[in-house]
Order: sequence, then structure tokens, then C-alpha cells
Amino acid sequence: MPESYQPGSREDFDRLYRVAYPRVYRTVAAILADPAAAEDCTQDAFTQAFQAWDRWRPDAPAEAWVHRIAVNRAISHRRSARLRGVGEVLRRLGRPGHAPDPADAVVQPDLLKALRAIPPRLAAAIVLRHYHGYNNREIAAALGVSERTVGTRLRKAADLLRSELEPSFSLEVVEAFPSEPDESFAQR
Amino acid sequence: MSPLPSDDEQGLSPELEERLRRQLDRVQPLHTSPRYATVRKRAIALRLAPAAIAVTLLSLLALSAYAETGSPNPVVWSQRVVTVVAPPKASPTPTQVPPASHHESPTARPSKAPEHPESPQPSERPEPTESPEPRESPEPSESPEAGSESSGGSTSDSGGDGRS
Repeated sequence: MPESYQPGSREDFDRLYRVAYPRVYRTVAAILADPAAAEDCTQDAFTQAFQAWDRWRPDAPAEAWVHRIAVNRAISHRRSARLRGVGEVLRRLGRPGHAPDPADAVVQPDLLKALRAIPPRLAAAIVLRHYHGYNNREIAAALGVSERTVGTRLRKAADLLRSELEPSFSLEVVEAFPSEPDESFAQR
Repeated sequence: MSPLPSDDEQGLSPELEERLRRQLDRVQPLHTSPRYATVRKRAIALRLAPAAIAVTLLSLLALSAYAETGSPNPVVWSQRVVTVVAPPKASPTPTQVPPASHHESPTARPSKAPEHPESPQPSERPEPTESPEPRESPEPSESPEAGSESSGGSTSDSGGDGRS
């Protein structure tokens, strides 16, 4: 995070984009399951940041500032997607539904799936802390909350993630000790 | 430095953190060309759009005025507008003139006469516009007089008859 930027400078914003785009994208991808939606939200966040680049004040890191915009966008996108999903469920009531594709469960990494299942602000706090290495002050700047709130969210997020991952943990334990062939076959 | 020790207590276990790193490292952005660069161009175009619309409208107005008047001089256009707008105000008076002309035609002329020195131009302009309409007004006004003229004609005819 030692990058220094000058507000309003086009070259500096281009540099910020090159450095921060993949990182912001990964944060948004941890909140949204759809890669195209994650890209849209990230690009929109950079567009919004670019339009306000003259007014940006370097009291908070620029990447945290873009993160804040992107996370807010992802949250609103997820909310509207959930509303669309409710509408879709209501429309399909009474019809035979599509069975979930087993290939999705194989391809989708379990931890990312669990992250997308918990509230997006908590997921963002986890990614910023444990993937990007932000400290509480930087997370507070990125999420627009106090440092105390960041601590509370991190604890809550870790608890929720553990509860989401519990079934897969038990599966891993069984696979790690294949001494009982019947049980492992039963699991498979 | 104070938040860092508490950070370590709050988060995930090192195993989970390592899994998170591995899984998020596999996530790659689909398309990294910056979209904000194109938005900048659109913003400039949007800023220029009102001016472009105004210039287009003005040129259309000027063209139509030129086609109507046949003159490129804007003063002529404004005069044309005055002459087009003014007749509806002036038109009721000539319709009332024929009945008034029978009784008040001598008094009406002196009442108009003082207005001419006060405002020469507006009083002069209605006159050409009224000029086509008095052409219509003499017809009904002449109709009673035409009877006398026709009677005169008839007299001429009768005279002709008489001559014959």
C-alpha cells in the first residue's frame, strides 16, 4: 500500500488501475458468484472513481477508496440479483425445476462458495484482511466503518465461514484417512 | 500498531487463510481494458451535445427564414415576422369599417390623422396590410353604390337603349 497518487492525474489513475484492478476484482469475485457481474461491478467502480478522481483526498489509500466503491456496488448488485431470484422462483412455482449441475459443485471452490453465502460486508472484510493483508484501519477506510466494527465483523465472518465449511471439513477428514474402504466408498 | 495483535486473533486460521489465497489466486479478471477511458470521451460528447443541438436549431431557423423571405438579412426576417403577426390585430378594424364608413367615415379619418405624426412607422405598416382588405371592403360597400352605378350602367344601357 505504499503507492502514492496525485488526485486528478491521469497517469496516476492509470497506474492505480493497473495495480488495483486485479485485487479489487478478486474482492468482488469473492462476493459475487458471477464472473461477468464481478467484472461489471469492478469496472463501474473504477469509472466512478475516475469521475471523482479530482476530488479524491489522499487521507485514505486510493486502493481502499476504490474497494469501498466496488464493495458497495457488489452489495447492491447482489441485493438486486436476490430480488430477481425471488421473482424467478415465483415464476417457476408449480413447474418442474432444473436440477443443480453436479459439475458446478466440483468446479466451484468450497471456500469461495462459503464466502458468497455469508453477508457481503463480512466477506469483503475477510478478503481484505486475509487475502490483501489490510490492517483494521485500512479495512475501516475501505468499508466506511469504524475499526471496532471491523473487528466485530471479522470475528462474525470467521464464525460464519467455519459453520459454512463444517461439512467439507468432515469430508476432508474421511478422505485423509482411507483406512476403512467401505466408509470411503460410501462417502464417494 | 495496536490493531495488528487483535487482527491476528480475529481472523481465520492459517490453513483457511492459505486456502483462501490459493482459491482467489486462481480467479483471473476476464477483461482488463479500462472502461473509464471510453466514459471520458462520452462525457465530453455529452457536454458538447446541448451546444450542437442549439447550433443545429439556429441554422434550421435561419434557413427556413431565408427560404421564406428570400433575404439573408435578419432585419428583414424580423420585419416579416411583424407583418405576419400584426394583421390579425388589424384585420377586425376593416371588417368594422364598412358599417362605420357609412356613418363615421368623415370623423374616423381625422382621428387617424393625429396618430400618424406620433408613430409614423407602425401606422404606415398597417396601411399596406390593410390595402388588400379594403379591396374586399369596397365590394360590399360598393354593392349599394354599385346599384347606383349599375343603375347608371343601366341608364347607360337604357341610354344605349334609348339611343338605340
